[in-house]
Amino acid sequence: MSSFILRRLIQTLLLLFLLSIVLFALVNLAPGGPMVGLGQNRRVRPEQLEMMRRQFGLDQPLPVQYIVWLAGNDWMQVDSDGDGLPDQPGQRLGVLRGDFGTSINTRQPVLSEISQRLPNTIYLMGITIILAILIAIPIGILSATRQYSRIDIALTTFSFAGQAIPEFWLGLVLIIIFYAWLKNPFTGDPLFPAGGMYSLAGSSSLTDRLWHLILPVITGALGWISWYSRFIRASLLDVIHADYLRTARAKGLSERIVLFKHALRNALVPLITMLALDLPTIFSGAIFVELLFAWPGMGRLYYQAASARDYPVLMAVLMIGATFIILSNLLADIVYAYLDPRVRYE
Amino acid sequence: MADQRDWLSTEVEVERSMPGVNMTSAVWRRLRRHPGAIAGLILLGLLVAAVGLANFSPYNPEASEMSIKFQPPSLQHWMGTDALGRDLLTRVLYGGRISLTVGLIVVAIALLIGVPVGALSGYYGGWLDVLLMRVTDTFLSLPSFMVLILLGAFLREIKIPLIERNNVLTIGLVIGSLSWMTTARLVRATFLTIKSMDYITAARSMGASDWRLISRHILPNAIGPIVVESTLELAYAIIEESGLSFLGFGIRPPTPSWGNLLSDAQNYFVASPWLAIFPGLMIFLTIISVNYIGDGLRDAFDPYKVLEKVGEY
Amino acid sequence: MKNIQKVILFTVVAAALFVSIAGCAPSPATPIEPPSSITIVIPEDPPNFNPILNDTGYDGLVMEMTSMGLTDIDADGKVFPELAAELPTTENDGVQVGDSGAMEVTWKLRQDVKWADGTPFSADDVIFTYQAITNPDTGSWFQGVDYLSDVEKVDQYTVKFFYSSVYTGYLTQFGGEQMSIWPAHFCKPEQGFVNWDCNRNPLSLGPYTLKEWVEGDHMIFERNPNYYQAGKPEIDTIIVKIVPDDTVRKQMMLNGDADIDMWVKEVVIEDLKKSDKVKVSITEAPRWVMRIFMNQSQRGETSFGMPHPLFSNVLVRRAIRQAIDVDTLTKGIFLGYAQPVWTEFFREPYVCNIPRPTYDPESAKALLEEAGWQDTNGDGIRECHNCGTAEDGYVMEIEFGTYAEFGESMTLAQQLVSEQLKVIGIKTNITQTEGSVLWADSQSGGIEQSGNYDMDMWDDGYAGVDPTDFLWEYYSVEAATPDYGYNFVRWNSPAFNDLLGLSYTLDETVRKDLFCQMAKILDEQVPQILLFTIVNADAYSARLDGVHSNANDLVTWNVADWKIVK
Repeated sequence: MSSFILRRLIQTLLLLFLLSIVLFALVNLAPGGPMVGLGQNRRVRPEQLEMMRRQFGLDQPLPVQYIVWLAGNDWMQVDSDGDGLPDQPGQRLGVLRGDFGTSINTRQPVLSEISQRLPNTIYLMGITIILAILIAIPIGILSATRQYSRIDIALTTFSFAGQAIPEFWLGLVLIIIFYAWLKNPFTGDPLFPAGGMYSLAGSSSLTDRLWHLILPVITGALGWISWYSRFIRASLLDVIHADYLRTARAKGLSERIVLFKHALRNALVPLITMLALDLPTIFSGAIFVELLFAWPGMGRLYYQAASARDYPVLMAVLMIGATFIILSNLLADIVYAYLDPRVRYE
Repeated sequence: MADQRDWLSTEVEVERSMPGVNMTSAVWRRLRRHPGAIAGLILLGLLVAAVGLANFSPYNPEASEMSIKFQPPSLQHWMGTDALGRDLLTRVLYGGRISLTVGLIVVAIALLIGVPVGALSGYYGGWLDVLLMRVTDTFLSLPSFMVLILLGAFLREIKIPLIERNNVLTIGLVIGSLSWMTTARLVRATFLTIKSMDYITAARSMGASDWRLISRHILPNAIGPIVVESTLELAYAIIEESGLSFLGFGIRPPTPSWGNLLSDAQNYFVASPWLAIFPGLMIFLTIISVNYIGDGLRDAFDPYKVLEKVGEY
Repeated sequence: MKNIQKVILFTVVAAALFVSIAGCAPSPATPIEPPSSITIVIPEDPPNFNPILNDTGYDGLVMEMTSMGLTDIDADGKVFPELAAELPTTENDGVQVGDSGAMEVTWKLRQDVKWADGTPFSADDVIFTYQAITNPDTGSWFQGVDYLSDVEKVDQYTVKFFYSSVYTGYLTQFGGEQMSIWPAHFCKPEQGFVNWDCNRNPLSLGPYTLKEWVEGDHMIFERNPNYYQAGKPEIDTIIVKIVPDDTVRKQMMLNGDADIDMWVKEVVIEDLKKSDKVKVSITEAPRWVMRIFMNQSQRGETSFGMPHPLFSNVLVRRAIRQAIDVDTLTKGIFLGYAQPVWTEFFREPYVCNIPRPTYDPESAKALLEEAGWQDTNGDGIRECHNCGTAEDGYVMEIEFGTYAEFGESMTLAQQLVSEQLKVIGIKTNITQTEGSVLWADSQSGGIEQSGNYDMDMWDDGYAGVDPTDFLWEYYSVEAATPDYGYNFVRWNSPAFNDLLGLSYTLDETVRKDLFCQMAKILDEQVPQILLFTIVNADAYSARLDGVHSNANDLVTWNVADWKIVK
């Protein structure tokens, strides 16, 4: 098992290296280049732009930029005054030493930007996914055990409907209904806040935080509930039809015991693996929910960086996102091996 | 969510599809007994027919008529009119063409890339398998919606013939290039399972070529999962296109798509709700019917059910 | 049995892990229960407090709360002193022009202004700011800097700027919506103007100080006790809340959860007007003019003398002007908030009497016939037949672009114009581009600067009362050089250029006359088609008093005067 993990880790590092090249090329493919983002301020002179390119190291050829991004430039001389001659050592440490560079938009270290947003996203997405699973499990069980019954058809339709509503549309409808239209009959206040994580004025207690969570979590969770309930239904059905359960039934065990002791247990294995695979979304966030509900998370940071061509931020979010995905794949494999005795890795 | 579905159920499913049955007719027979799938088929048929009839609309989807802007639904304009007084029904039908085309392009790309990659990888194995699966893994490791946003944001400024500035083809290609991996894995899994079976060995010893073995003997076994996966991809493509439009990276006006009709409507959500309701309804109905068809197909391809039926007879 | 235990164990561990992570989520700001507080909602964070760097408008919004310039521009376009004790003019000997044409401007500064830390504001700060911006390695650029040659500290509260020639925009050069004065004792010059920490953590000189900034969520400003105007500002706390979605911001205004929503669009104004809780302040003196740019050079050419097949002929440009039904655009799409405009000189004090061009598709068609464009194959699109600027048979088909960020009304306007041009036989292919790509410098692939367009439509206008710089940027021959100006229609008019050169004078009578001569040339030559003004409107809660929308500045330009009435 440990040699398996070691091998996978080495593969992971190779994959990440490959990905970093692909993503770096992709990000730099855009027409114009990062300085385009500063073109909104049209009162900038060419000399000024030249200077800014130098400040961000964008005057270098792409391969050099990649090396600087990866390994920094404090070990080489850079041209800081634009006379074409390298005159002083660079200041960047490179991703390998934990320096993701400086945001072109805010001129702040990229990592500090991310660290301000990441906890908010984990908070929102974690609750969303946990809630989604808690709701999805009973739905899945009910659907699978009563396959083709009326309740199954109703739940299936609900699941499909959950996947058929665009998230931004649902969010907007919820805000209009629960913020704009419906009022608390006693106080006249809106039923739910329009957005944000907590009230700025007045108390920001636990209830206040929960109150702010409800609409964004519903908006975000609907899709997950649909997805997980279908998944649980499918994996339960797989197990229910399996031979050993036939045997168990044939031995005269009650359907209840068969279901909860044998079927459910085995159906949970793929669910937990799937959960491990979905962990990265906790990092990347839900862009529509964050935009509509003014939630200061990673999705919005990324969206703004994509609109403003903030390359260092884009690269950092994409790379960290990819790392999360690869690591959770690894985690899923390990969990799968741990939980399912039939699986053995050589 | 999209790129990870069926991650596990894949191999299990494939093992179950046994060759030798006249698949098409058997599947169709079983599909007919699935009420959801039939309802889905009828609904989707109606939607496609309506969208196909867009040309017969008496209204021009792009010609403005400022005197009748923001009319609520009426006998003349069943879905009302928009900010330029254009008939919303006509625009929704034309938009449906665009959205469904995006979906079909995505499915086509997933098949064109996914099936060969999976088949070659699974059939030949060895270094080719390692190489192709590394590529697949790399794509699976991309945070897909983030990359989608990135490509949408960048490609809308690029002018290459054919994929000029986020037209239908561009958006289809972008979404498609990020959703072929599941198909590839499904096909590969089928090949791994089937290629060592007796009847394949027999066919090979009788001198059947690799091409014949791949296309005639092994690939048909993967049709079930591929078809189911394709329906899911169609649905996701339509949703993703609407999401991109909301972010401003989708198909550009004046070409209407369900996605940009819906996102344009958000300014008028309260004052002229029909502008938001009808495109949203179309997306909703399309996806729900596609999902039902996919569900029915999944069950229809499910051999356990076949066995049960056989046992009943 | 063992399996289920593992499952449970795993779930518990995962849940514990999650709870511990969630526990790390930042705890909310210290609860504040301020005596008086208002909320401004904006869609994105300001990048910093220095609008010279990014100029997103949100940086200007917060800059106006914490900083001051020597002068500012009010809603009517009049310049008023802020840090200056008075406006320097030739009458009060603040401005002197030597025989060589060189100009000296002497600024007398207020002596009662203090930075938030108690340090008095002085001439050193002005000189410090000037030197930081003009630093060739770490500086930036601001309007008219090319005319400046030197600066001198006369005494603690007097600064003298030297100009190599007459620069008419001197009054607003160190003020307005972008420029502010930075503290010499606080900002670190070695960090450089573009990067110094005080860009995001400024020392206040204005009515408010930044107390807290949670990125992506909110900023809290508190009144600056050291503000020089006694008793102002009245409101204790201003919260700037980041709310990305337009519809949500509108609903927050209607529900009373937000007090200011800046730059509201026409459709939103219509919705807000129905509520008695919200008022909308609309600038009476508009600034932004929607205009159409027609590239007179061939696509991809940045020099004169490579004529565009359509637009190098002035008859075609005039035909397009006559084919556009401006009233339908202003009333139908901009809901009557837009006012038709047909000359640059429609704002006081430079108003020139130019007759409004008529909307007349028939005479537009006649103009195109005269220019040698006819439709002989009956497809509704004209081709060149002896047009002189293209080969015979060249089809009258062009790309018609705009920028995407403006929003839906621009897209609709573009579609209407496209339809109207089709009526006279010109086919347009509509595109929308990000503004940052459309306007970028030519080296970054900026579409207009590198000449890669046929016809574009967007809005611009000048702040304040002096159009000279604006005219230079858009119409002078020099400004046709890529990246040095915005004459990317490559219009070459020596006559106009001469008049423009003469207008750099302080003699107002001469300037008025020169501008109206220019107006005539612009009207005849049609380098741009001016269509209508764009409304500059800010929504504010009815409980507020003193909010006054200002097209020359951001809504917070007079934040110190705001009051809560109820």
